[in-house]
Amino acid sequence: MLDKIMKTRLFAWIDERTGAEAIIKSQLTEYPVPKNLNYMWNFGSLALLVLVLQILTGVFLAMYYKPSAALTMGGYTVAFDSVERIMRDVNFGWLIRYMHAVGASAFFVVVYMHIGRGLYYGSYKGPRELLWIIGVVILLIMQGAAFFGYLLPWGQMSFWGATVITNLFGALPVLGEYLQQLLRGGFAVGDPTLNRFFSLHYLFPLLLAAIVGGHVHALHVVHSNNPEGIDVHSDAERINFHPYYTVKDAFGVGIFLTLYCYVIFFNPQMGGYFIEVDNYVPANNLQTPPHIAPVWYLTPWYTILRSFESKLLGVLMMGASLAILFLLPFLDRSKVRSARYRPVFKQMVILFFVCVIVLGYCGHSAPTPTLKLVGQIATTYYFLFFFALLILPKFEKTKPVPDHI
Amino acid sequence: MKLKQLVLAATATVSLLASGAAVANEGHGPALKHAEVNVTDQAQIRRGLDVFTNICMGCHSAKYVTYKGLMDYPEIGLTREQVDELRGSHPLTDGLISDLNPEDAKVSYGKVPPDLSIITNARRGGANYVYSILTGFEHDPAGKVPDGNFNEYFPGNRIAMPDPLSWLGHDESETAELEKQAQDVSAFLAFISDPHQNERRVIGCWVVGFLILLSLVLWRLKVEVWKDVKH
Repeated sequence: MLDKIMKTRLFAWIDERTGAEAIIKSQLTEYPVPKNLNYMWNFGSLALLVLVLQILTGVFLAMYYKPSAALTMGGYTVAFDSVERIMRDVNFGWLIRYMHAVGASAFFVVVYMHIGRGLYYGSYKGPRELLWIIGVVILLIMQGAAFFGYLLPWGQMSFWGATVITNLFGALPVLGEYLQQLLRGGFAVGDPTLNRFFSLHYLFPLLLAAIVGGHVHALHVVHSNNPEGIDVHSDAERINFHPYYTVKDAFGVGIFLTLYCYVIFFNPQMGGYFIEVDNYVPANNLQTPPHIAPVWYLTPWYTILRSFESKLLGVLMMGASLAILFLLPFLDRSKVRSARYRPVFKQMVILFFVCVIVLGYCGHSAPTPTLKLVGQIATTYYFLFFFALLILPKFEKTKPVPDHI
Repeated sequence: MKLKQLVLAATATVSLLASGAAVANEGHGPALKHAEVNVTDQAQIRRGLDVFTNICMGCHSAKYVTYKGLMDYPEIGLTREQVDELRGSHPLTDGLISDLNPEDAKVSYGKVPPDLSIITNARRGGANYVYSILTGFEHDPAGKVPDGNFNEYFPGNRIAMPDPLSWLGHDESETAELEKQAQDVSAFLAFISDPHQNERRVIGCWVVGFLILLSLVLWRLKVEVWKDVKH
């Protein structure tokens, strides 16, 4: 079909003015990809799809949403009311809003799978260091966008979540208090906070879109890694992106949309994991909810924060746990990329995945002494993993790597 | 129509079970009672509306539910005459607002009664929670909390709401009727918490069904395109 379009006079006209044919060839129809990618390589295109869905649904939500914490009848606010109006009175507003709310969780599901794949198969190693680093920037912006967005419905968890997180900035020395007030637009979370968070929630996805462009560009310079983690030299080992991977990605999109829509239409709150029960209670600055926990995708880092007695140390370690991802390509100097040929690394990285899930579980649950200890052990392993990589190549006996795919 | 209702009831039950199971025991206190609630049953929702307007609305509002909505939602489907009788001089676009002034409520009960528009979403256990609370009034075994303020299922057991259905000390012969009232109003509240939920589940069957077929087609296409790639 693409061939036929490219033979039309209209396409020729466009091509003369844009070089479209060369772009399509170099980026799609003649863009070489290793032929042995498994289904773990589908999550990149899925992440792009969810980003587009989030931006589209968000644009429509913003047409009806009102960022105001002014009180209305029954202890609600203009913001909370406008969300309920979207759910009840706007035509298919419920669909758009559930797509957006479930989409936030779906975004993190696919991105965490994408990152996990990169870790397991050593996609962060040279020459893809910068590709990985851009990816970490994307993760941080995503987490920021999600955090800003969660304040907007102005429910109890919105309010108290924002209060707890902006409080963290206050723990930093010298500039802390200033930063905290700058974020809040005042001494406490309130109407000015809601307005600037709404503004930032609109800005961050635009940044994301731009940086994702950079991520894809960087990918197309260094090309995809593959499950064997070896460099690809001959044409026999490669296939063109289109049609092979477009059709494989399309199949992945089908599966993803099936699951995504199942949740949207049949269980949009996901039992309190995607939309927390307490967020259906309007924000009340005089009543702290019994248990404040961020949404599941931020809970691993919340556990790291809570694992330290000193608030400042907790904040710094939480920051370090994310910042260390930037250093990963330089910490791990092993010449072998894929965990398939690194027996020790394979066990370490699987344990790392388990550790992140444990951290997430601890952060979601109400704190108990046992859970705190478990969280501290998991936190220790989280950091240990990265530093162990520094010395691992010195004694790890890697398996022989194949010459070609 | 029969089939549609069957599908609806089945999907509603499954998703209620799924969401209920995940949250029911997360809180503290005894496990909640199971409420026989069907958010597609117009008769039950209407009975629940009666309980709501006659009893709950003495103190509680449901401000996101308008009188017009009582006609427009097919799950309630009141006639214009029925709504006119209910609303008195209120405009059709008004929400179901209690006559109790919040200031007076504070004086009488110590706090403003919460709006009930989205209460089953806002409490763990949803309709089961509402049902358990309404039928959970007991004598305080420790004898500290006065009768009518002790509730087995309320966190901390001391509830400001005084036994609205007169559950405490009711005659044995009334049990079934009171349980029915409590379940009916729970059904009404579960419905209004998300008034497009039935529509959502019907559309969902089509959407998910279509996507499963689409995925199958795309899978075959993928296999077809890839058959010349040698591994």
